[in-house]
Amino acid sequence: MLLIACPHCGPRDEAEFVCGGQTHIARPGPPETTSDAQWARYLFERDNPKGLHLERWLHRHGCGQWFNVARDTLTHEVKAVYGLLDTRPDVT
Amino acid sequence: MSAPEPLHPLASVARPGRHGPAGSLTPLHIELPAREIVQVLVRRDRSEDLAAALRRDFALALPGPGRAATGGDGVTAIWIQEGGWYLHASRTGEAALAARVAASCAGLATIDDQSHGRTMLRVSGPRAREILSRGCRLDLHPRAFGPGRATTTMLGHIACLVHQTDETPAYELTVYATLAATFLDWLIETAAEDGVEIG
Repeated sequence: MLLIACPHCGPRDEAEFVCGGQTHIARPGPPETTSDAQWARYLFERDNPKGLHLERWLHRHGCGQWFNVARDTLTHEVKAVYGLLDTRPDVT
Repeated sequence: MSAPEPLHPLASVARPGRHGPAGSLTPLHIELPAREIVQVLVRRDRSEDLAAALRRDFALALPGPGRAATGGDGVTAIWIQEGGWYLHASRTGEAALAARVAASCAGLATIDDQSHGRTMLRVSGPRAREILSRGCRLDLHPRAFGPGRATTTMLGHIACLVHQTDETPAYELTVYATLAATFLDWLIETAAEDGVEIG
């Protein structure tokens, strides 16, 4: 079970959260110049790394806010917690 | 036509009196306070104006994250999210508190009357902390949580706003109204060892 430090509420149990998958996904555009392949990649293709993964989390049963988490998928270590609109942190 | 009697939403479900074994343990005391609950979400860049308005009209200092505060005229504010609070007070009439808050905070915040959407229970007793801990992943130990602290978490797998009001310990628990009856069942079952006293 993960202990996630919500930026608003502090450290809370994973059960209060919902994971929203990979973060920092840029929408391609404009539509006229976007190929089907590019659009399909945007919609469906996601990283599945063994190691550092940047993902969105929602504090569903808490303050109801979205934020970003840098997590190691192998060790489950939460390496950084940062705002939804913040740039990616300097973690490896 | 007179105003309707202040009635708790669980009044028809919860049978007053002692439930569970008549042992030597002090039962968990469950009260059903008829409260009005109003959600206040501040508009962008109006935090200071909102705080000033509530201080002026309710003698209330808005609490920060994880905290609750009660103002001079009996209105309690609980922080629920960034820029969001619940205000609650004794029920005096349909949407009476919402109207007062709306008049006070016009243009500063979005006001939603949640009196019918949320249900509050008050539980207290020497073993209240141990009983709530059975279904709560939050650390309720006095070193981590005490009077004046309030936070949304899960109790018995139901999202619940937990506000500790005093050292008894006593807690005010606010849940979604549609889950309140289930929540009460969970509470009675969880406190079965001690028994509960409703009323």
